[in-house]
Amino acid sequence: MNLHGVVDDLRKIVGQDAVLDRPEDVMLYEYDAGVRKSTPGAVVFPQNTQQVSEIMRIASANRIPVVGRGAGTGLSGGAISQAGGLVIAFSRMNRILEVDVENARAVVQPGVVNLQLSEHVSHLGLYFAPDPSSQKACTIGGNVAENSGGPHTLLHGVTVNHVTGVEVVLPSGEIVQFGGKAAESFGYDMTGFFVGSEGTVGITTAITVKLMRKAEHVATLLGVFESVDDAARTVSAITAVGITPAALEMLDGWTLRTIEAFCHAGFPLDAGAVLLIELEGLREAVEEQAVAVSEVCMRQKAREVRRAKNEDERALLWKGRKMAFAALGRVSPSYYTQDGVVPRSKIPGVLQHIGEVGKKYDLIIGNVFHAGDGNLHPLILFDMRNAEQFERVLAASYDILQYCIDVGGSITGEHGVGMEKRDMMRRLFTDEELDVMISLRNAFNGDEVLNPEKMLPMPRMCREIMGASQNAVLAREGM
Amino acid sequence: MSTVTTPVRFTRELREICGAGYVIEDPDRLERAQILGVTPAVAVEPASTEEVAAVLSFANVQGLSVVPAGGFTQQQKGNVPSHIDVLLYTSRLTGVEHYDPGDLTIGIGAGCTIAQLSSKVGADGLLFAGDAPLPERATVGGLLATSMTGPLRHGYGGLRDYCIGIKFVTGDGRKGKGGGRVVKNVAGFDMMKLLIGSWGTLAIITGAGFKLFPAPRQTRTFVAGFATAAEAIQYRNAVLRSPLSPICLELVSPQAGALLPGGGRAGKAWSVYLRAAGSEAVLGRYRTELGAAIALEIDGHNEHDVWRAMEDFSNTLPEHYPDSVLLSLSLPLADVQPVLNELESVAASRGLTLATIGTVGVGRLLAGLWPATGSKANLVAAVSAFRDRLPRDASATVLHCPDEVRTQAAAWEKTPTHFDSMRAIKRAMDPKDILNCGRFLF
Repeated sequence: MNLHGVVDDLRKIVGQDAVLDRPEDVMLYEYDAGVRKSTPGAVVFPQNTQQVSEIMRIASANRIPVVGRGAGTGLSGGAISQAGGLVIAFSRMNRILEVDVENARAVVQPGVVNLQLSEHVSHLGLYFAPDPSSQKACTIGGNVAENSGGPHTLLHGVTVNHVTGVEVVLPSGEIVQFGGKAAESFGYDMTGFFVGSEGTVGITTAITVKLMRKAEHVATLLGVFESVDDAARTVSAITAVGITPAALEMLDGWTLRTIEAFCHAGFPLDAGAVLLIELEGLREAVEEQAVAVSEVCMRQKAREVRRAKNEDERALLWKGRKMAFAALGRVSPSYYTQDGVVPRSKIPGVLQHIGEVGKKYDLIIGNVFHAGDGNLHPLILFDMRNAEQFERVLAASYDILQYCIDVGGSITGEHGVGMEKRDMMRRLFTDEELDVMISLRNAFNGDEVLNPEKMLPMPRMCREIMGASQNAVLAREGM
Repeated sequence: MSTVTTPVRFTRELREICGAGYVIEDPDRLERAQILGVTPAVAVEPASTEEVAAVLSFANVQGLSVVPAGGFTQQQKGNVPSHIDVLLYTSRLTGVEHYDPGDLTIGIGAGCTIAQLSSKVGADGLLFAGDAPLPERATVGGLLATSMTGPLRHGYGGLRDYCIGIKFVTGDGRKGKGGGRVVKNVAGFDMMKLLIGSWGTLAIITGAGFKLFPAPRQTRTFVAGFATAAEAIQYRNAVLRSPLSPICLELVSPQAGALLPGGGRAGKAWSVYLRAAGSEAVLGRYRTELGAAIALEIDGHNEHDVWRAMEDFSNTLPEHYPDSVLLSLSLPLADVQPVLNELESVAASRGLTLATIGTVGVGRLLAGLWPATGSKANLVAAVSAFRDRLPRDASATVLHCPDEVRTQAAAWEKTPTHFDSMRAIKRAMDPKDILNCGRFLF
């Protein structure tokens, strides 16, 4: 690998001002919204697909590790480069190429910001459904790489359910198309395979997405509960009466008080937990469901169920939910977010376990998560300057993820495996199962030029690179 | 035509793997299991994923071709297999891996029939949305491999939207897995997507997990009649732009309607069948929104029968018209109307009868063409002419055709997806090309 030898070549492709390689410039690209850091050797800003292709050809020929980067809002290290590697940043490929109302599709470049697309088509009554909490900043290219979710994925599905085609630059530099505007394309579903491949198969340069029609009617309810346990049991009680809300979010008491102090969303300060429940669809259906959901909440010992009276009140409740992570920044220098998933019926148990983990490792853990999907986001507070505490944070998070696996769940619902959970993959998959995935990656990215050392674990003998805390957890479990 | 392919010289090993009682060598039984005229040399019924892996490892080393089989409802579709050394039945892979109605998920063996699965979850008020043709025989594995779901595709999405986990064995005998038992999961490659619709050419599916839905407590079907396809498509567009969210939305041509119970109920040439779920108040709203175009409402047994007939359409059409070509098309929404026009013009200019039915709200269309009078010669020409006029993002394949047309049909498949990338996937999962040789893509 000799990145410095090719920086001039990269400048010839994209222009003088579109390559950064001074240490003080590339430092800005060494992190994402997670906890890991690694400084790239250079950052290149292509403006079109052809340039991406030429960059990939140079990188492959010189075995320079490459990672695509959108807004760097990811939580699993997906957009972090290898030390000294090359970052392809998509901030100059941020155009909405086409809005095709007849086909309910848009074609966008990877650097388009998620919320920007919905705002762009709003006047047509349309929107792009995946809505990660970071949707004001995160890019659709990043959403595709990580197969991102969000609160409303409960009803509408995650990114892969909303992408029908991708233009991809392969590590060889070849530009290829998978799928198109049709809902499904004949042959292997390469689009479905590509979405969520975490930048290890190719780099997308144009994405064909579904545009959804906005619902006629929305009801946003806030179920207020004395205890986390009552709120947790209500989650499966709602689905048991045959209702699938558009979103079903839970915030525990500690988290909602922290948020309330930050942005005054109107959350009750003395509650044990709240459920933020959104119903959408035909007016008649939504009104019936709102009554039924309120009754279920009351039967499960809710103190009260409030309903947003207008769009302002609704927006405020959602602001509170989506600003949760920002609110924590006020009370703690750092926080670590996990992304475990459990079957819905296991939510009460896992929340109890998270409480125990907090005590065991002497850490404050808040919970704000997609309860309807069983997708947890325990937020563990810490101070990065305290190395010993950080080790406890990692150990606590692996402990929680192991619990998720033990009850039939997964280590990631929407943030991706990335760097930090790569070795946890062995607990979900056998060596043989991982080998199948590795052979698929190698079919496209055999030299691991693209996003090396992400998602799929290294062979077993390389385990010594893992953190001490994770080794301790593994040792305890006899692995 | 019947071809026994390879001399049986490997049954001893297969008996060791599956047990003597589960290796079928009886010529009559094998003859009955022929696929498009090709008779398997031997058939096996493994009892577990491990046994499937052992069979495939052995076959891979020996270079034997293997064809997976479920309920044999879709085996006569696609291209003719080049040869079949081992037919592998999934009939003994029927165990329930996990099922908790409160989770709205189930994990089940590939050999379980769709009817068994639906009845199991239906008892708890839940719905499995994969409405396969011939559900009493069709299996979970076969449904995933062929992706042949029916009208519920409109309201509940395709298998790619609600299959949450998959277990399989690759062509070289590796036991693989994707996803798991939770509804949201992005750990590792999405193997479900690769295997859905891969027609058994990448791996043999041994089990799968699904998201389930609350079963609608009440449904009603509204039928609207139109003089032309163009008017029917306009009506589809109006429904898609409306606040309504029907669970099914099907376009039925006059000739297709003749194959449904009641044969063309709306009394006009083209029909749109819309199925709604909800309370009386909700159904009342549908009635108001759908307006004067509604010629008929159906509920109860009649409703059940008409949707069942639509689910089975891809099988009943070739039964009624063995000389037909049955095309499966996936189109961008705006291309449905022009493609219908092309089909009509191609059929009319070559003396062919055309029947079309489709989940047109998601761009899916089945089109059957058959000679109105005797000669099949025009079929090949018609199909070739039509293929050349397909729009850019269209996908198309021939599900059924008379033998005379088959050699032409193999070259007919169309997709916007990069072919060499699909070939790279095939090589990674079935390096010796032993799975379903010659039937799909390669």
